[in-house]
Amino acid sequence: MADDTGGAEERGPDDAERRSAFLGFVAHEVRNPLSTALWSAELLGRIGAEERGGARGEKLVAMCLRSIARLRQLVEDHFLCERLDAGGIPPRAEPVSAREAAAGAIERRPPDVGEVALEVSPDLFLGADRPLLARALDALVAAAGRDGTAVRIAAEAAGDTVRLAVSGKAPEEGALEDPVKGTPSDPTGRALALPLARRIAAALGGALSAADGRYVLTLPRAKAGGALPRGAAHP
Amino acid sequence: MRSPLVLVVDDDPDILEAICEILDSESYRVARARNGAEALERVDAERPDVILLDLMMPVMDGVAFAKALRERPADRDVPILVISADGNPQRAASVNARGYLAKPFDIDVLLSHVADICRPAEPRAGA
Repeated sequence: MADDTGGAEERGPDDAERRSAFLGFVAHEVRNPLSTALWSAELLGRIGAEERGGARGEKLVAMCLRSIARLRQLVEDHFLCERLDAGGIPPRAEPVSAREAAAGAIERRPPDVGEVALEVSPDLFLGADRPLLARALDALVAAAGRDGTAVRIAAEAAGDTVRLAVSGKAPEEGALEDPVKGTPSDPTGRALALPLARRIAAALGGALSAADGRYVLTLPRAKAGGALPRGAAHP
Repeated sequence: MRSPLVLVVDDDPDILEAICEILDSESYRVARARNGAEALERVDAERPDVILLDLMMPVMDGVAFAKALRERPADRDVPILVISADGNPQRAASVNARGYLAKPFDIDVLLSHVADICRPAEPRAGA
C-alpha cells in the first residue's frame, strides 16, 4: 500500500506521476456532478413557472441537490486528503470510546447502507482525534454497507492497539489506494472516502487495511480518561 | 416526421438523466446506455441518428464501442459526438467523432452540435 502520510519529504518522479494521476482522477470525478448541477439549474431557469412547480421541476431540483451533495463530499474529502498529505492537520488525540465512535458512524450512515450490527465492548477506548476518527469510520461504514449490504462492526484489543473491523460488502482490490485517471467513477461522490480513511488512520498513528472481506482500522489504545500510549498522535 | 433519436452513453446515472432532460426539452427522442456493450444493443434495437458518447466507462469504454460500431457495415456511419470529462479533445479523433464536448459543456452548445448533425444534408446543386 502506498504511504502518503509524509508530506514534508522530497518527492521523486514516481510520486509526481502518481500525484498527477490522482489529481487527474479528482478533476474528472468533480466534472460530472458539476455538470449535472449546472445543467439542472439551467433547465430549471428555462422552464416556465408552472412546470417548475410540477413533477419536472421537482425532478430537476432533486437532481441539482444530489449533484451538489456529491460535489461537496468530493471536495471536502479531497481537501482533507491534501491537508493530511501536507501535514497541515495536527491530530488532537484524546481517549474516545470505540463503542460511541462506532455508534456515531451508524447514526450518520447514508441511506443506502443496510442494517448495522455493533459488537464493541464499552470498555474499549481509542486514542484518537474525534472528528478525524468519525470521518474514517463514516467512510468504512458507507463502503461496507453499499447497496443495502448489512454491516457488522466489531472491536478487539491487541496489545497497545484496538482493532476495529468493519465487514459487509467486501473491499475491492486496491480500494484503499489513491484512484487514478481511468478508475471507474463513483456516482455517490465517495470515490475518495477510503483513501482519506487510510490517511486518517496513518495520521492518528495507526493503519487501515482491507483483507478477508473486511476493513480493519487499527489505532492506539487508550484508557478512559487516562494517558495515551506511546505512539498515539498528539497535537 | 419523427424527431431524431439520440443515444446517450455514459456510466454516470445523473449525467445520463440530465442530458436526456436537455434533449427531451428540445423534443428529441432519447435512448440511453450505461456502457459500450449496452450501447451496441441499443444501436441494434433502436437505430439512433446520433450517439453522444462518454469515453471512460466500465465494461466497454467509448473507444472500444466506437471501434466495434465502425466494424459493423450497417452502423459505421452513425455520427458520434464525444462528451467527456477527461479534458482531452484529441481523444475524439481516436473514435472518428464529429465533435468533442468537455463536461461541463454549455447546454446550447450541445443542442447546436446535435441539431447540426441531425440536419438533413443540403441537396447537391443540379440534383
